[in-house]
Amino acid sequence: MSAAARRAALATTGVLVLLAGAEAVGRAGIAGPSWPPLSEVAAHLLDADRRATVVRAASATLASAAEGLLAGVLVAAAAAFTGLLLPPLRPGLDRLAALLHAVPVIALAPLLITTVGREATPTVVAGLGAGFVMFVAFSSGLSLGGRRSTHDDVFDALGANRVRRLLRLQLPASVPTVLDGLTLAAPAAVLGATIGEWFGAPRGLGVLIVSAMQNFQVTLLWSAAACATALSLAAYGLTTALQRAAVRRMA
Amino acid sequence: MAQTTPSPAPTLTVAPPAAVALSGVGKTFELSRGRAVSALEDLDLHVAEGEFVAIVGPSGCGKSTVLRMVAGLERPSTGTVVVEGRSPRELARSHRLGVAFQEHALLPWSSIRGNVALPFHLAGRPVDAARVDELVRLVGLEGFESARPRQLSGGMRQRAAIARALVLRPDVLLLDEPFGALDAVTRRRMNRELARIWSEERITTVLVTHDVEEALFLADRVVVMTGRPGRVRHVHRVDFPRPREAAITRSPEFHEAVDLLTGLLDAEGTA
Repeated sequence: MSAAARRAALATTGVLVLLAGAEAVGRAGIAGPSWPPLSEVAAHLLDADRRATVVRAASATLASAAEGLLAGVLVAAAAAFTGLLLPPLRPGLDRLAALLHAVPVIALAPLLITTVGREATPTVVAGLGAGFVMFVAFSSGLSLGGRRSTHDDVFDALGANRVRRLLRLQLPASVPTVLDGLTLAAPAAVLGATIGEWFGAPRGLGVLIVSAMQNFQVTLLWSAAACATALSLAAYGLTTALQRAAVRRMA
Repeated sequence: MAQTTPSPAPTLTVAPPAAVALSGVGKTFELSRGRAVSALEDLDLHVAEGEFVAIVGPSGCGKSTVLRMVAGLERPSTGTVVVEGRSPRELARSHRLGVAFQEHALLPWSSIRGNVALPFHLAGRPVDAARVDELVRLVGLEGFESARPRQLSGGMRQRAAIARALVLRPDVLLLDEPFGALDAVTRRRMNRELARIWSEERITTVLVTHDVEEALFLADRVVVMTGRPGRVRHVHRVDFPRPREAAITRSPEFHEAVDLLTGLLDAEGTA
């Protein structure tokens, strides 16, 4: 068996053991009535009507997460480039980003609902989560404040100006790091959107989770959670593939 | 053939105006808590137009610092550095400088052709494809134009770095141990190649190396530096005719010169 096949077999075995364990716990009722057997959750999702509810909610969450991710990437890029062009602003930008990241979402939520509204809160929370990671990725990718490399020496000796250095060295060199950040930011955006929906959004997986919890619809609750996890994993898988392709091309 | 020029004073007067002139150059590096280390002191070095000068010295003698000052990457603490009548930074900004370091510093995402053409892009000039091809051929990389640096051997990467340094026909070529990371056999072959390339381009060149044989094989003059703080200890004129073949490295004159310069370096090490 090749190394890759062995790894895949191990991973599959691990997942199966985990699923079987969860099923066993549910069937035995060890964790009480709020832990259903996974087969019941699967049956819930196989029912067309019930599935439609979950899928509708999931697509709303996906839309918020995607918008938030895009906004986070754009704002983070703008902030990093501001730091690149105006070096005196760099420490301030770093601290502002760290501060925004340090404020708990639960403290920001009431503020967001009164300012941007219930509809937009999931997008903004997703953007905050993704934006911080992307700001760090852009900053380190463009090696702001990093040590000089021999590339910098060559570009200096060849008389490169700032724009040409940015286009020919810093931007291409930053691509793998930025995409590395994206593999963290994409699942963070899904998580952010789901949490943002808790604070009274009209639809989405977060809303479904809250209402299922309050009405003690255990299988619905687990279905929604499974769906959120699947979205998050898909976002991670997609961005990781993108990152690997870029590393093959750029390094 | 090779003979030692007695140099009572470190200053060497050259009749035509020097292409590279370091006068009374000192360099002090600040360490923590106000301490400072003097890397170079009162260094005088003049390189004539079209001359190949090699600098050898014990490690840490500041020979790379000399080169970095000529490249405009460091500023002298005292004294002046003038290259082609201008400050090194001015020369770099007008794209008249070629450099190759021990690390090839090729762009990994770019092909060999793209890397050799880079100086045209950085100078904001249209890429002269014929010149790029000529350089790729000159360093013996034809057939590898579209390869990425990581697909090539260490020696081939250094050739590409040297092609990049030469492509704009610079006024001054600066080489900092360009073959320092290569094995001995590859290194000797690269030296023969560089001697051949240089005799075709005849660019004012400063080479920093710790390899005495390499210095004697390539240079018109070899400058031996003292340990920290670095000064010029000895200047050795090399008179082997060009183009130089590997055969000269087996001549008694060559061995004599190697012994002499190695002796000077060793004496420095034990002093």
